[in-house]
This record gives sequence, C-alpha cells and structure tokens, in this order.
Amino acid sequence: MSTSAPSHRRPSRLRRGLAAASAALALTVTGCASYGVDQGGDGESGTITYWMWDSAQLPAYQQCATDFHAANPDVDVQIEQFGWDDYWNKLFTGFVAGSAPDVFVDHTSRFGEFAARGLIEPLDDQVAASGLELGQYVPGSAELWVGPDGRRYGLPKDFDTVGMFYNAEMATEAGLTPEQMNALTWNPTDGGTFEKAIAHLTVDTNGVRGDEPGFDKSSIATYGLGLENSGEAFGQTQWSWFTQTTGWSPVDEAWGTTFHYDDPRFQQSITWWTGLVDKGYMPPLSLTQGGSLDQQLQAGKYALITNGSWNIANYSKLKGIELAVAKTPVGPEGRRTMTNSLGDSISTTSQNKGAAWKWVRYLASPACQDVVARGGIVFPAIASTTPAAVETLSKTGLDVTAFTDPIADGETFPYPEILQASEIQSIMGTAMDQVVGGQAPASSLTAVNGRVEAVFQ
Amino acid sequence: MSVQTPVEPAAAGPTRATAAPVQKAPKDRRAGIGRVVAWATLVLIMLVTLFPFYWMLRTALSNGTQLATDPSSPLPVGFTFGAFERVLGLSTTAEAQAQGGSGAAIDFWLYLLNSLLVATLITAGQVFFGAMAAYAFARLRWPGRDLVFFVFLTALMVPPIFTQLPNFLLMRDLGLLNTYAAIVLPFFFMTPFAVFFLRQFFLGIPREVEEAAVLDGAGTVRRFFRVIAPMASGPLITLAILQYIQAWNEYFWPLLVASDRSVRVLTVGLGVFRSQTPQGTPDWAGLMAATLLAALPIVVLFAVFSRRIVDSIGFSGIK
Amino acid sequence: MTAGTTSPPRTAPAPARAPRRSGEGLAAVGFIAPALLGFAVFYFWPTLRGLWFSLTEYDFFSRPRFVGLDNYARMASDETFWNAMKVTVQYVAINIVVQTVLAVLIAVLLQRVTRSVFVRSVVVLPFLISNVVVALLFYWMLDAQIGIVNAAITGLGLDAIPFFGEQDWVVPTIALVNVWRHMGYTALLVFAGLMTIPEGLYEAGRVDGASEWRMFWSITLPLLRPVLALVLVITVTGSFQVFDTVAVTTSGGPGDASRVIQYYIFDLAFQRLEFGYAAAVSVVLFAILAVVAFVQLRLTRANESDLA
Repeated sequence: MSTSAPSHRRPSRLRRGLAAASAALALTVTGCASYGVDQGGDGESGTITYWMWDSAQLPAYQQCATDFHAANPDVDVQIEQFGWDDYWNKLFTGFVAGSAPDVFVDHTSRFGEFAARGLIEPLDDQVAASGLELGQYVPGSAELWVGPDGRRYGLPKDFDTVGMFYNAEMATEAGLTPEQMNALTWNPTDGGTFEKAIAHLTVDTNGVRGDEPGFDKSSIATYGLGLENSGEAFGQTQWSWFTQTTGWSPVDEAWGTTFHYDDPRFQQSITWWTGLVDKGYMPPLSLTQGGSLDQQLQAGKYALITNGSWNIANYSKLKGIELAVAKTPVGPEGRRTMTNSLGDSISTTSQNKGAAWKWVRYLASPACQDVVARGGIVFPAIASTTPAAVETLSKTGLDVTAFTDPIADGETFPYPEILQASEIQSIMGTAMDQVVGGQAPASSLTAVNGRVEAVFQ
Repeated sequence: MSVQTPVEPAAAGPTRATAAPVQKAPKDRRAGIGRVVAWATLVLIMLVTLFPFYWMLRTALSNGTQLATDPSSPLPVGFTFGAFERVLGLSTTAEAQAQGGSGAAIDFWLYLLNSLLVATLITAGQVFFGAMAAYAFARLRWPGRDLVFFVFLTALMVPPIFTQLPNFLLMRDLGLLNTYAAIVLPFFFMTPFAVFFLRQFFLGIPREVEEAAVLDGAGTVRRFFRVIAPMASGPLITLAILQYIQAWNEYFWPLLVASDRSVRVLTVGLGVFRSQTPQGTPDWAGLMAATLLAALPIVVLFAVFSRRIVDSIGFSGIK
Repeated sequence: MTAGTTSPPRTAPAPARAPRRSGEGLAAVGFIAPALLGFAVFYFWPTLRGLWFSLTEYDFFSRPRFVGLDNYARMASDETFWNAMKVTVQYVAINIVVQTVLAVLIAVLLQRVTRSVFVRSVVVLPFLISNVVVALLFYWMLDAQIGIVNAAITGLGLDAIPFFGEQDWVVPTIALVNVWRHMGYTALLVFAGLMTIPEGLYEAGRVDGASEWRMFWSITLPLLRPVLALVLVITVTGSFQVFDTVAVTTSGGPGDASRVIQYYIFDLAFQRLEFGYAAAVSVVLFAILAVVAFVQLRLTRANESDLA
C-alpha cells in the first residue's frame, strides 16, 4: 500500500473497490432469485405467530392464547397486532419474503386473491378429519370462507351486520318512538317513512326542521342522515341496506364476474340517495373528509347513521349523547342487511401447520368464542355464543338485538366475494365519488359497469 | 494564524461581539418600521407554527370519549392525564378503554431506548461516511468524479417502492430481520441527502485554507479531519440533527423489518394509537399524547445543540 | 489566510487546475468507499431490478414474464396515470413555491432580526412530528363540520371550507399542510447557508449605505446560491414523492383529485399486485426527476461556489 502509487494503478484500485461492491450485490441476488411460494412444513409444536388488526379485541384473544397454551403446552402462540392499513402491507411483504405469520385474521374481501395465489392453506381435509361441525356457525358465515376453487380457506371467527345508530334525544324531540324507528319503510321513489323521519330529524341553524316551511337547506345544524363516504363497490354500511331491498345485487353469486351497476333499480336507488344532499337531509360528500362518522354523531352534526355491529362497543362509549340503535328500514322486497365474517387462515409458508391448525381449530371452538363473546366487542361466529355476546354488549345500554334479529329472521345477504377486489373497489370508489359528489349522474354507472367487467377479460 | 487551531471557541466570542452592536446600529425611521414589520411577520409565523401544537396538547389532555362533544372548545374537554398514563403504560386495560383507548399495552421505555439507539447509530454512520464522501466529491480530484456524483444524486429520485422490497428481502437473507442492524443498515453508509448537503458546504470553504495545510505538510486524511471537519462543524451538526429527527420519525421501514417487541422503535410501538378498528376513530388523545412524548427527546436534543450551531459557525467571519 | 476577504463575490473559480497531487485519487476511493457500498446495495441494485421489472408482467408470486415495452405503451393511454401526473405537478408547484419563499423569509429573519435560539427552535418544531401524525392532525383540524379551523371560519360569518373534500381545495390543502411541516426545516438549511456568508460583506454594504432590501438581493441571494440549489433539488425531488399525507387522509379522493403519482404507484404495486406496471410508472417518474434535477443544477450552477 504505497502512498505514492503511480497514476496508472488508480483504476485497478477502483476496480477492486467495485469488486467488493459487486460481491455485496451478489448477496442480494440470491435473495431474489426464487419465485413461487415456499410450501412450509407440518410441524406440530413450537411457537406460532398470530396476527390481528383490532386492538380492542386483543385482550380477549390473548386470553384464548393463554387457555390454549394451558391445554397444549407444546405450542406457544405469539399474538401481534398492527393497525388496519399497516396490517395488509406487512402481511403482503411477509408473503413475498416468506415471513408471513403462521395464522392470521383474514377478511372476505382479501382471501380470494390469497387463495388464488396459493398463499393460504385449504383446510377441507383438516376440517373433515377433525369432525368440525360447520352447522354450529351463524348461517352464512361459514360459507363465506369457501374460495373461488370451491375449497375452504378459513374458519369463521365472528359475524357482523349493519344497523342504524341514532341520537335518542333528537328522536324524542322529533316525536319519533323507538318502535317507529324500528319499523321504518323505504322505497326508491319517495323514500317512504324513512325519508320522512330523516327530513324531520334534520334541523337548520334557525331551528326549522327539514319538512317544515322556511327550512334553509344551505345552513344546517343537524343532518337527519349522516354520510361516511360514497361506499366504493358494495356500500356495506353506506347504501347496501337500501339498494339490496329492491332485489338488486351487485354481483349474482360468490366469485361472479357479471356486475349489475347498470341495473335501473340500483341507479334509481342511488339517485334517491344523492337527492338527499340536494334536499339538505344528508351532508354533501365534500363535508365528510376529516373527523370520523362517530365524532360527527357525537358532535350532534348527524341525527342518524348506519354502521356495522363491530362498532357497537366503540359508539356506546361516546360521552355526551344518548344513543339508540334500530334495524335498517324495510324496502320493497323486505329488510336486507349485509353480513360479513372474519376468519382465521393459515399461511402456506408456515413451518408449523400442524400446530397452526390446532390453534385455528381452537379459535373456531366454543371455548375461545365464548371468551370473545364476553369480551364485548363483536358477535362470535358460533351461534350458541350469541346470547352471551348480546348480554355483554347489552351492558352498553343499547338494544343490540337490532343487529342479531335479522339473522334469525333471514333478512341478511352475504358480503359480495369477488376476485380483483382492490381494482374494482378503486374503480367504483372513484365513480361513486363522482356520483355522490354531484359531478356525474347515476346513469354514468352503466359505462363504469363495463369497465368493472373488463377487469376480468 | 495557523489553520489547525480549533476554530469554534476562539471564533465564537468575537463574532457575537461584533454581531450584536451591528444589529442595533441603524436607528433611522425606515429601518425602525422595517424591524416592526419583520418582527410582526416572525410572530405570525410562530403563531401558525405553534397553534397545531397547542391543539395537540389540548387534545392529549382531553378525555377521548368526550372530544367531539365540544369540538371547538379551546380548553381540554374532560381534562385528564389519562392519555399520558396510557402511553406510559400506567393505566389498566379497563381504564384505557373507558377513555377511548384500545387497552393494548406498550412498553414505552424500551421502545424509547430502541429509538435512541437506532437514531444515534444511523446519524453517526451517515454523517461520518457522508462527510467523507462529500469531501471526496467537493475537494479531491479524481477521474469520473462529477459523473459518480451525479449518479449518487440520482439516488434521491429513486422511488422508495423500488428499494424497500429488495432491501427487505436482503435483510431477510442476511438473517437480520428483527435486529437493530436491519433498521440501521440502509441509512448507515449514506443517504444521498447527507452527501449532497455536505458537499455543497465543503464547496463553500475557501481553497486557500487547505492550500495552507498542504504547505504545512498535511496529507488528505489529516486535512479532512483537522481542517475541513472542524470548519464545517456547523453544517455537520445541522445535518446530524436533521438526520436524527428523520431517523427518529422513520416508520414504515422499521415496521417492516423489526416489529419484534425487543427491537421495536417508538414510532412503530405508538402505531397502536393511530389505527384501531377499521372505521373507528383513532384514539386521538392517546395519539397526541404519544406524539408529544415521542417528540420530547428530540426537542431537548435540538434545544441543546441549536445554540452550538450558531457558536460553531463563527469561522465565517475571520477567514 | 488574511482576515477580511470582503472582495466581491464574483471571483473566478479558485486555482482549480492546481497541479494534481499524487495520491488524491487513491484517497478519494477510500473516502467514498463506504458511501459507495451503501449506494450500490441499497439504491443502485434495487433500481436496476426495478428497471428490469418494468419490462415484465410481475405479481411478486410467479416468475416475471418479459413483455418488452408493453407497460410503457399502456401508460400512454392510462387516464389515471396522466391525471396523477397533473395532480402531482400541481402539488409540487404550490408546495415548492410557497415553501421556498417562506423558508428564505424565515431564514433571513432569523439571521437579520433575531438569532434567538428559542425562535429557531420554534420554527423547526413541526419537523419533529412525523408526516403521518401531521397529516392526521390537520385532517381533523380542517374538518368541515367539527374542525377547529372551520369553527373559526364560520365564527367569522363565512362558509365552511371543505379543505379535503372539495376537488379544487384538496391539492392546495395537502401542499400547504406539508409546507407547514417542512418550512422550518428548509429555513434551517437556508439559515446554515446564510451563516457561511461573511458578516464583513454586510458591514461593507452598510458603510456604503445599502438598505437591508438591497443587501438581500445583491449579497444574500447570490451567495446563497449553492445552498439554495441544494435546497431546491432536495425539496423538489422530495415533493414529487408525496405519499404519506395522501395515504392517511384522502386516499386519492375525492374522485381522483388527490391521487398523486406515488400513491398511484403504491396502489398498483401493493393493492393490485401489478408490480411490472408500477415499476414502469416509477421509471418514468424517476426519469422526470433526474431531468428536473439536472436542469436545476445547471441553472443554479450548483457546482461552483462564489466563495471558492
């Protein structure tokens, strides 16, 4: 290493440096050379990781894990919780890198893609061998976990439905009884008694109600009906509870590729809905960015909103307002509420699939679901635990049967399962924003329907 | 005047001494009005800057479940230290949930320690190696220098989406997932910003300074460490602080490569306050309390070092 | 090393062509080696791979399929892409102009009016808070119905402004939120540059009876050029990559009004698993940024220093 190296040697030193750098590069190459999904292993014991996103449910599941470990001392369950947005990104990179959790909470809108790419395990054999009784789950929830290939990719952990939350004080002032609120009717032409109710619940800044003379729709103190957003492809909590009462459905069957956003029934329903903005009974879409729906409700900006049963506990904690719940209105073809179910799936890359199955089996058993029921956040999927969940959730003071009765009465329809869900949600999200925002008529959705179907070609 | 004398302490005194009277010198009316306008602008900027912080504090001291009952109240709604207790892990699950928290436990002090360690390592490596590279680009003559510099510079423009996934896979293959090394390495040897930043400052240092050192017989390494680095201590500290803050706030990368509790950094640990149930409200009070607490160490750090930035920059007046 | 080199800044580039000292090239290699390693592994190699992927159809889980320039051809007729470009350019224009003007203003005020450490600490405070939290905080403060800002606006008898909800407002709003977070930081960079300007120049200026305003234009701004070039290249490239703020607030909405290019790339890659196409869009963005930076560096002659 002479310090007075002649100039012609300089490049060679440089070359040596480059060689070192390319050695480092070679390291990265090896990591990326393999494609396809690692098939994992069938280990029966050891530590398995379990991911979930709802921090409110963490204590209940931690209890399940403790109980499970007591019964299966050779399996240790480590629970990790990440917020909803991070959850899917992290899960995705986990799949890419082969470091996904052994078991994770899965969503019906996501598992189809995972299954199609071979990232999660079909569970049919294990279910058959273990004698698991699928009839014990709330109707509809177990079926949701059958993928596009007809195989089962998850066991249901809970179920949810959509109902109405309203400000009880405002309803009383408006002369609306709980019985009336539970028996509202709706149709796409004049909105039925539902529209009458929200018109009456709407109050402008001078204290004039929406159905009274002198109502100033440009200056609203309380909107009768709250708006969260335009609802993307399925409007789960936003509009599915009325659009589906006309007999319409966005897609005919699970994993279908024919869509019906061009159906006049749907477009008429949406036209009625966006008309509420013009009438001043519902806020324009532009006002809905910022605070969340429950905050607006709590601040008295909205008298009534529609939302899912998973938010009962959250909403019941809102101080300063007296809340009540009611069933969604009855439409031309009866009452319809969307049910969805979360499930537990096993990653293909898991090295401990035996142990993972034991845990999934336990999560789907009455023992764990009873703990979850008493956790007072969600309704577990096993029908026999529903009374316990209703009892716990009723301590919030809300009559949560508004969410469970429709199941018993057969008034539910399943969350639509489709492939290419994120692409379609994205297309429909933009299109529905245009319609609800007033930049395009509902008839524009006919052309959008073509674009949605084109995704599958 | 030998260049090797440590510059800062000697220089600090005279500069400030000369600066002070100069500022008060112009006494004419026009300058007076100018000063009033200048101060008014500054105060306005400070108000705009500070108000959101006040709002954070007000929210952090509120009861999360009552917040929206009085959204425009200038004072905390349902005053409580509950949110801070939640962040520091001092409240029970039931207490936390009653105030709109999730009840998820976080190990604040461990995450704080992890953040301190990681941010310190990143800053030290980056400033040191960045300064060396910047010196080579600004001061040394070698073939292809400008080309290599431009190539380095393009790294600023590489969309993170390109780098994150391969780097993640690299960490996995090196067996570094869930280690401090995984969080630190991609930022340790260089960031384009650090190299670019320091190069621009080194360009500004008069060449004569180095020429003199050469006459004294100093080699490249010695010139860098004894002449250039001390003279650039202002920019170096500035960069160090900025990069420390950056490293401190880094979220997605540590979340990806090191979410294990033992190495979890503060930003990742506090993510629990940000998003809870989909469609639910975040724990606003908890989130704000967490943010304020997490920012506190760097506020202190900045307060301590920002005086040094002024003092150490004195060299500019005497060359 | 004479004191008081208050000579006019227009000196010719210093004796740059000084006789080449032996060993400098060697030393240079040693000096840049660590940075080069970091660059090669964590930037260069991923970028090369990205370039390759942009020529393929790739969903992460199956082998990439070479499709030539198909992805680039697809971009030409992709309305969402062009809209994203338009939205991003709008964002950058608003963000950079406002931020740079404010940053220089603050920096000059910090230098000429007060050197108080307190004031300096205050202006840089927003930078201490992470992007995501800043975005969430403003999202909430600027809510049209229960946000404190609109409470003040309606309190003055004006109509509430749907900052994040109205197509015309959303991009300026996001741009200004990020100005709030970064202006103090940028000001600090400019300030550090100001501190390298010899005080003697101002003294000389004052002796000549120059006003502060005149000194700003004839002393401060010209001498600030290398640092300002740095600041602009950094902020413009950073600004083009705006992502967090959109992701935690509007997710690109309403409609596509705030679907900036990075968010679109993220959407394509991680939500729709079209990594090949996402890579192609990234390459185009990368190319645009490289050209912009190159032009900026040329225009500002960042490679030279007036003090050299």
